[in-house]
Amino acid sequence: MRHELDCRGQTCPAPVLQIRDMLEKETPPFITVIVDNEAAKENVSRFLEHNHYQVSVEQLGSDFRVIATGNSGTCEIMAPADLQTDTAARKIMVMMGTNRMGHGDDKLGAGLMINFLKTLKEMEPDLWRLIFVNSGVTLTVEGSEAVPILQELDKDGVGILVCGTCLDHFHLLDKKQVGETTNMLDIVTSMQLADSVINI
Amino acid sequence: MTEITTRLTQTVKGAGCAAKLAPGDLDKALCGLDLPVDDNLIVGLERADDAGVYRISEDLALVQTLDFFPPMVDDPYSFGRIAAANALSDIYAMGGTPKTAMNIVAFPAKTLDISILRAVIEGGLHTLREAGVVLVGGHTVDDHELKYGLSVTGFIHPEQILTKKSLRAGDQLILTKPLGTGIVCTAIKAGMAGAEVTDRVIRAMATLNRDAALTMRDYSVSACTDITGFGFLGHLAEMVVDSGQGVRIRSSSVPMYQEALEWADMGLIPAGAYNNRNFRGTFVTFQEGIPQTLQDILFDPQTSGGLLIAVSSGEARDLLKALIARGMTDTAIVGEVIEKPKDMIIVE
Repeated sequence: MRHELDCRGQTCPAPVLQIRDMLEKETPPFITVIVDNEAAKENVSRFLEHNHYQVSVEQLGSDFRVIATGNSGTCEIMAPADLQTDTAARKIMVMMGTNRMGHGDDKLGAGLMINFLKTLKEMEPDLWRLIFVNSGVTLTVEGSEAVPILQELDKDGVGILVCGTCLDHFHLLDKKQVGETTNMLDIVTSMQLADSVINI
Repeated sequence: MTEITTRLTQTVKGAGCAAKLAPGDLDKALCGLDLPVDDNLIVGLERADDAGVYRISEDLALVQTLDFFPPMVDDPYSFGRIAAANALSDIYAMGGTPKTAMNIVAFPAKTLDISILRAVIEGGLHTLREAGVVLVGGHTVDDHELKYGLSVTGFIHPEQILTKKSLRAGDQLILTKPLGTGIVCTAIKAGMAGAEVTDRVIRAMATLNRDAALTMRDYSVSACTDITGFGFLGHLAEMVVDSGQGVRIRSSSVPMYQEALEWADMGLIPAGAYNNRNFRGTFVTFQEGIPQTLQDILFDPQTSGGLLIAVSSGEARDLLKALIARGMTDTAIVGEVIEKPKDMIIVE
């Protein structure tokens, strides 16, 4: 899963040491580090690059989020051997970019979508995560027929992630009835971790 | 004697000269201040040099400086020695002879054993004795972090002052100590530096710049400064701008701790190095292929760094040999002063 370190308020070399301590125990495929000064941003990026991670930096107000993706971690996930021989559940992620299924008739599309979500549980235990973006988020809010179906999936342990920016866009932030609010980093990370991504 | 096990570097936020206020911030605080005027003030704040110089008579002037900082090494006695060598260095860089000193101490009496303070002051006295300087007093305040340093006063002949602003085109630049102490001390703080390199860097930082200063008196030296918190390129930029000349640096000749290259690559770089680069980077052109880690070391804030001496090209080799013969074995010719481009440092 994700490894996130909040190193705000720390000066060099403390953030680097915290990451080093973590890497001594494990080699996570993704690491996120939040720092609040330029020097820590540079040093943390370098340390992670030095440890063969690919690093990108986002500015969050006066803070910086350093995002690291490990080559070795990715390789492990991508390794075909894992996919073929692994008897454990695969990770199927469903990207819900709309509140209707297919193009043509919107009314038909809305009905199909409810039916799709109902039937989706047949994928369990491989069904790993559903991510709702754009008009897809309207399926997770008050008044949507999909809410009880999604709550059921949620209870079964399927991850339900709902795009916060999208909820905000539609002024639905306080209307969400199911799932966790998410951001683009979680979405991208999920795509990378998933064995298959199904795009609706 | 009781053994002191406190790791001093773990008790403070910044370390050594790396703890200096960012140069840009300092400029903001000081620019446009209304300063008292006195004809006898030969070197003052308006053109900041290593130390201030005040004329007493035709052949005598006072040279004064002050430096203090949090510990950059764990051993209190070594910290005292380094802080004293660092404070005295500004007097030597001006061509002066230090005579008296006063301690400046901030001490967290609630969290550190008082024996630590004693060891720090003993270390300082060790270095003062070596320099032939008397301690005339001091002042101690209770603070949440340990800081130590000295205010030093020396004598100088008003016509023999060596400032930073008199570089001559054609001069060769000599550096007397290796660079990278800020990075090495960050590695010490991180617990990643071995005993051997720790000893080596402590020895270098505790070494007085006195012998270097005495040696250069016999040569045609045009300008001099000591390398401290603003880093090699930061201090060099001040020389270049104040002199209206340019400089070419041969990076492969610059003495440095090789370990610092590896640690820089790992991100063990003090914040001061980034401040220095942000503040002085515009004066520096790195030729293609100069590795980032090498650039970092050239901006790394130094504690009790060496002297950077500009000497006429005809005498550079001889001065180099003389410095090495007096025990400054890391000394190297690192570049030369050029007329153009003006106000620019080219790193090759």
